[in-house]
Amino acid sequence: MRGWIRPVAALGLATAMLAVAACGRDADGTQNEGPGTAVGAGPATGEINIWAMGAEGEKLSALIEGFTKDNPEATVKVTPIPWDGAHDKISTAITAGETPDVALIGTTWMGEFARTGGLDPTPEDLIKPADFYPGAWDTTVVDGTSYGVPWYVETRLFYVNKEVAGKAGITAPPTTWEDLKAAFAAMQDKGGAKWGVSLQPGATGSWQSVMPFVWQNGGTVQKEDGSFDFDSPESVAALEYYKSFFSEGLSPSDLPQGSLEPEFVKGDIGAFVSGPWHIGILEEQGAAGEYELWGMPTKQSATSFVGGGDLAVFKDAANREGAWKFVSYLSRPDVQATWFQTVGDLPSVKSAWDDPALKENPLLSAFGTQLNDAKSPPTISTWDQVAAVFDDKMEALIKTGMTPAEAAAAIQEEATSIGTGA
Amino acid sequence: MTARPQDAALRRGRRGARLRRAVVGWGFVSPFTLLFAVFMAGPVLVSLAMSFTDLRSADVRDPLGVNFVGLDQYAKVFGDPLFLKASGNTAFFVLFGVPLTMTAGLAVALGLSSGLTRFRTLFRVGYYLPVVTSIVAVSVVWRFLLQPETGLVNSLLALVGVDGPNWLADPDLSLPSLVVMATWRNLGFQMVVFLAGLQAIPQNLYEAARLDGAGAWQQFRHVTLPMLRPTMLFVAVITSIGYLQFFEEAYVMTQGGPLNSTLSVSYHIYKQFGFGNYSYASAMSYVLFVAIVALSLLWFRLLKRKEQ
Repeated sequence: MRGWIRPVAALGLATAMLAVAACGRDADGTQNEGPGTAVGAGPATGEINIWAMGAEGEKLSALIEGFTKDNPEATVKVTPIPWDGAHDKISTAITAGETPDVALIGTTWMGEFARTGGLDPTPEDLIKPADFYPGAWDTTVVDGTSYGVPWYVETRLFYVNKEVAGKAGITAPPTTWEDLKAAFAAMQDKGGAKWGVSLQPGATGSWQSVMPFVWQNGGTVQKEDGSFDFDSPESVAALEYYKSFFSEGLSPSDLPQGSLEPEFVKGDIGAFVSGPWHIGILEEQGAAGEYELWGMPTKQSATSFVGGGDLAVFKDAANREGAWKFVSYLSRPDVQATWFQTVGDLPSVKSAWDDPALKENPLLSAFGTQLNDAKSPPTISTWDQVAAVFDDKMEALIKTGMTPAEAAAAIQEEATSIGTGA
Repeated sequence: MTARPQDAALRRGRRGARLRRAVVGWGFVSPFTLLFAVFMAGPVLVSLAMSFTDLRSADVRDPLGVNFVGLDQYAKVFGDPLFLKASGNTAFFVLFGVPLTMTAGLAVALGLSSGLTRFRTLFRVGYYLPVVTSIVAVSVVWRFLLQPETGLVNSLLALVGVDGPNWLADPDLSLPSLVVMATWRNLGFQMVVFLAGLQAIPQNLYEAARLDGAGAWQQFRHVTLPMLRPTMLFVAVITSIGYLQFFEEAYVMTQGGPLNSTLSVSYHIYKQFGFGNYSYASAMSYVLFVAIVALSLLWFRLLKRKEQ
């Protein structure tokens, strides 16, 4: 009666031993995979499955008709998934080998997913890197190989209250670090603003506000050899400049949630840094036309941050050719322009900006101009964790007595112990 | 029946009853046991095994292609300054939150079971409502209450001439603010349990105490409290387990800030899973698990029913 126990136990033990024996990392690690195999010409066929998050997921079906007109043999199935949990869902799909053909991937996730070996390298015959903004293209490149295509982009500018700037006697956007600070000081002294500018006082996502200043000063995240470079003199000087806005009383360090926009509209806050979505938010607050946009100031360069979303094809895609053809269709300038009209996503393809809707809108064209000088963080798989350390130290830098040099050294030390995941 | 020897029938009957009891017993536990075995036991064992390796999110396609690192992840947990900070915060939350919630819950239950007879149902609903309200709605309301310039709390303080602080943005006040909020949010559950416990105390004990000349305080001290011991044990264990894993309040109100002053152990674990440090986060989860078991055992020792 108990005869079955022994074979089962033996089987279990054997499996466990096999598992332990199979454990252990390969010595070689990641390497440059080189471009993906050519996809070739001709229309796409079969079903193409795509996952997309947020508004992109809900509205993407609007573009399908244009694709199936040229590719009558193909059908496209869009599955909208919420941003919350999208990272885990994609990660689980890669683990199980049950991926869709294409998915929208947040730019800072590319390093992690590419390193799982789950993403297909971009085929060179279909996608031309030079068509895209370089900062956006860099988000797809992991260890020298591109694993996707930038779909849409966003970058950061200064939103400035026109009335406050006018009262402060500012006629043209300041172009240097010194002038920028003087302008915010004038907006506070003469313009009637309580705060000249509102910069993020550390905490989640503040690296997106601080890193542009580091880049402007010639600092980098990583040295040529791949080690971190947070404690370079250039970075320290940039942190010092950023902190000075708080220590000189130009920026609030504990603004309650949700009070930025109302206070900006009232003129209590002279300016803030944000991306294109604030055009819509300010319009809802009845402030359309009452503000202007300034590009980043120049130190060594006038670099801003570029974010957005990439499209990637999975190694486990059932319809690889169709998937890349659909991605290439979404990267066509006219389709990118239509997509902007549909959801308001800014095109990642440079020539799409010739569309009059973008070119003749002064607010949007300001973003277009800034995109030519915008950077993204390196595509390392531990970036989210390194960024969290950075955000923590920024908060300590601004709210405690920590000096820029101490903050830079602390970030460097913790980032180095986290490593790049390579 | 009459033809058979009586004791044999009895034995068979007893055996049948025992079998039936066993079947019924297993029948009752099987839904949990089955679900646990299928959906929990596997993942629990895998996560335990995972905590002895260096698995990261980049390894998910080849989960066996990782190194066995023994207790390295556990050693790392205790050398992680953020984990130590989070442990301190969690300890503070439990140390102040549990007694505060229990005292408040008991006080409300006593009030409702004796003094307040009018609108009793209204008060019960009022105190219980926060328990069943979504934390997201609660957080929105509390953020309004705690607004530094326009919030109700600081407006009231201004009436008596006190310049109220920016509660959630001050690293020294953010965690106590969350403790108060959690107390308010959870005392309704405790109130219900204490009410049930109070109703189970026989009235004749109070009568006897009164005959012996015991005052209100003495009745409370020598009748109510001892009789509530099992109820208090239950409430203490449940509340401690909940507070040791405190997460939602910090997640929706402060995101762990400012300066990590509201970062809890659960929140830290959640973040590490998010960063893809699966094995490190697993190791931390087991450390938290051990802490929960230890605290529960401590409560059992402290509040165990005295031997009769």
